[in-house]
Amino acid sequence: MNVQDLYAISPLIVLVTWATLLILVDVYIIRDRNGGTPILAALGLLVAMGFAIAQTGQQYTAFNGMAVVDGFAIFLQVLFLGSGLVGIALAYNYLQRMGIERSEYYILLLYSISGMMLMAIAADLIVVFLALELLSIPLYVLAGFGRPKVEPEEAALKYFLLGAFAGGFVVYGIALAFGATATTSLAGIVQAVNAGSANLTLLSIGAALILIGLGFKVAAVPFHMWTPDVYQGAPSAVTAFMSVGAKAGGFAALLRVFVSALPELAADLSPVLWVLAALTMILGNVVAIAQGNIKRLLAYSSIAHAGYILMALVVFGNTQVSSDAVAAALFYLVAYAVTSFGAWAVVIALEKAEQKGLALDDYAGLGRKYPGLAAAMAVFMLSFTGVPPTLGFVGKLYLFRTVLEGGFIWLAVIGVLTSLVSAYYYLRIVVIMYMRDGDPQVHAEPWLRLTAGVTAVATVVLSLYAGPLFAWASQAVLKLF
Amino acid sequence: MLIEYLPIAILLVISTGLAALIVWIGNTFGPRRPTLRKSLPYESGMNPIGPGTRRMPVRFYLVAVLFILFDIEVVFFLPWAIVFRQLGLFGLIEMFVFIFILLVGYVYAWKKGALEWE
Amino acid sequence: MGDPITAISLWLDGLLAGWGLAPALIIVIKALLGVGALATAVLLVDIFLVWVERKVVARFQDRLGPNRLGPFGLIQPFADVIKLLIKEDITPVGADRIVYNLAPIMALATVLLLWAVIPLAPTVVGTDVNVGVLYIVGVGALGTLGIIMAGWASNNKYALIGAFRTVAQMVSYEVPMVIALLVPVLLARSMGINSIVNAQDSYWFILVAPIAFLLTLITSIAELGRAPFDLVEAESEIVAGFHIEYTGMKFGLFYAGELLHALTLSGIVASLFLGGWRGPGAESFPLLGIVYFFAKAFFLYWVIMWVKYSLPRIRIDQMLNLNWKFLTPLSLVVLVVTALLDKALVGVQPWVYVLVLLAANLVIAWVTLQILRSRARKERQRVAEPRPIARPPAAPVSSQGA
Repeated sequence: MNVQDLYAISPLIVLVTWATLLILVDVYIIRDRNGGTPILAALGLLVAMGFAIAQTGQQYTAFNGMAVVDGFAIFLQVLFLGSGLVGIALAYNYLQRMGIERSEYYILLLYSISGMMLMAIAADLIVVFLALELLSIPLYVLAGFGRPKVEPEEAALKYFLLGAFAGGFVVYGIALAFGATATTSLAGIVQAVNAGSANLTLLSIGAALILIGLGFKVAAVPFHMWTPDVYQGAPSAVTAFMSVGAKAGGFAALLRVFVSALPELAADLSPVLWVLAALTMILGNVVAIAQGNIKRLLAYSSIAHAGYILMALVVFGNTQVSSDAVAAALFYLVAYAVTSFGAWAVVIALEKAEQKGLALDDYAGLGRKYPGLAAAMAVFMLSFTGVPPTLGFVGKLYLFRTVLEGGFIWLAVIGVLTSLVSAYYYLRIVVIMYMRDGDPQVHAEPWLRLTAGVTAVATVVLSLYAGPLFAWASQAVLKLF
Repeated sequence: MLIEYLPIAILLVISTGLAALIVWIGNTFGPRRPTLRKSLPYESGMNPIGPGTRRMPVRFYLVAVLFILFDIEVVFFLPWAIVFRQLGLFGLIEMFVFIFILLVGYVYAWKKGALEWE
Repeated sequence: MGDPITAISLWLDGLLAGWGLAPALIIVIKALLGVGALATAVLLVDIFLVWVERKVVARFQDRLGPNRLGPFGLIQPFADVIKLLIKEDITPVGADRIVYNLAPIMALATVLLLWAVIPLAPTVVGTDVNVGVLYIVGVGALGTLGIIMAGWASNNKYALIGAFRTVAQMVSYEVPMVIALLVPVLLARSMGINSIVNAQDSYWFILVAPIAFLLTLITSIAELGRAPFDLVEAESEIVAGFHIEYTGMKFGLFYAGELLHALTLSGIVASLFLGGWRGPGAESFPLLGIVYFFAKAFFLYWVIMWVKYSLPRIRIDQMLNLNWKFLTPLSLVVLVVTALLDKALVGVQPWVYVLVLLAANLVIAWVTLQILRSRARKERQRVAEPRPIARPPAAPVSSQGA
């Protein structure tokens, strides 16, 4: 270990130390006097973000190839830290309003983010697993944060059991990959495959198991069963963070492992991914139509969007397109994160205690009474659908383009068709908000209003400057080897 | 070497066999005159009320969880204790970092009342 | 004739090789004979322990104890065993039969298993695995399983409560116990018990780690569930704890297992802190080593009995507080200080090393006592303050008469 190794994980060190000290500060200094902790947690995220950004443009491996710093890692780390900031902003008043304000929320959030950041720099399957657990375990606790009520506890238990199950798949896949190549390092796997010393059948099975395990994390069909229940039961602020952070973490691992280590297996795995992506898009969008609860609707919508991002993964074996695909996936992750956080901010503004205020009918009349909030929600729904001029549109454009370049025309067609289906339920919310009369009750605290406003503006404005953003994402592609 | 574990395996067989033999002797040579009253669960002479296996206070499980947390962490000390001279100053500092993290968890558990019985 | 054990071993080698047996088979046969002899000897000692226990408790309580059968009543435990063997064996209604019968077997067998790694003399050791301490912790924890099995399978609510208390106590005290056991491991730089005994050639570890010794002894008593930690079988609350429903020899196995466990833990503590078989002339005459070992083990066993018959029982909250809020932090402090000093004192004379570590231990003990004293003072003040008198609520005096 040398100084450069420590420098490589400096954002992580900062964040973990900060969270650990925050426990002590919280227990000894802040105690139950509210406030303080969220601000300190946000400060920690900003400091870590500073360390992450300071590494921009650098590229090296650390800890004997266990970790790697490259554009991909830095891009994702900044995304994770940013989503952590939004997660704090969303929770700040919400937890108080729901009567579940405990400062553990912010500390667990920091730990979970450190797991995601570890995922971004992982260059070894063992580190991937470590990161997966570090990411998940705080989220299990957060999902049950609304205790002692039935729904959050059910959500936490479901999430924990299925998450542990998925973790088992990942570990077993890693074991098989190790058996096939005698190494767990991604670079080593590539070398073994190129040298012909790897057992490709075993490696394919291992990769498939890893795919299943991470499929649970990103909620890809058919590993999505937990998503609606957990998203509905968990406190909305947690759900918002989970739908963005956990998903992005899972995709970080998928992209890193498949694109950089396993391109040789594309012939076997691309069809599998193709089916997964198609199923995820179809099922997510079709089932979402039937939902009357906004949280369940957004849960299915998040499943559907996982399908869109999976499309980028289908082309992972095609080395000419794969870097574009990674860039498109990263761009779509950002677009989805911005839009999703905004939508959840609106949901949180309307939510009342005891799971009230979550039906679609509760949005009736929002357009008349709270035009700003309704306009923001309309923007998010349009972005989810993929209507210009929004980030969602640009993201889908890039995704479909890479898929077409990769030659998967039917997949792109399925993507477009399911987007059309999704227009039905997204636009229905807009219709309810503007066309029906009602008396919605809104707690638009300043932080919520700020989040919704900023994300709404960003959704529109960034789409107009999508070129530079995509260029940044393109620079961020994996340059592991 | 695995051969070092041979006596343990033999002792395992001998000790369980011996204990099983003793139980068998007791079963065989003792009288056997069961009556209902004799074979009821003993509650100081009262007729037993309710089932014998019932839900236990959750505090016991809290203790169990604490044990798992701390014991797993403590077991990591064992290999460290053997080689810590060879590891040098680095090993010492690294272990103190580990102990610090353990202590943070411990302080948290204490302050949040996990160590109180009531 | 200095080392009869090695002599017998060599003689067996020659004899069996003369019969034309394969070398691997010879190893197995020798292990079988040695382990069989060890198990028999330990069980005989166990029966003797019953007599010791009854005799000593009688003296503590100003009685005579068994004195009819044989000289000093020495035959008494054998009569006890025969009596237990021919008692009726009752299985309660609703018991889980398989688990119910397995539990006492488990209780005795796990204790016997511990003897595999305890060195009785330089050459008399079941096996010297290099993870001895870990083995002791692991196999010792299996005994907990036997107890929870007994409590669960008995279909008796008091048995279950007793079992839960036992498990809570045993798993709690395992934490400081492992940390305290780390101190000799750290000093000897090995987890093998025999290596630890060998490392005590110039001084016993009790000299450099007296606090760790005390911690190990206290946690051992708690692991045993003996007074003052015998709330697991508090007869005034839960009849007899986990073994209420056991009769005859099954109860006998629990009883024998408990006594033997006490001697086993005494032997382990003696090996780790009191030099085990070490004593004048033990290296050249291994049989003398066995004598030294058992002398030390029985001394500790007597200390445990002394504690048992002198102290009253504690409550469960006191039990957990003592463990989590006192023993665990103290053991961590001892470990850290020992590691730091060991690091700092590289290459000094042994007597300097011993003196510094002893002084450090005394300082820790003094600071601990000061903290305890100030706490006790505060507690006394808190208790001495006049309590708020419970007044009836100022209810309106309305109802006249009636």
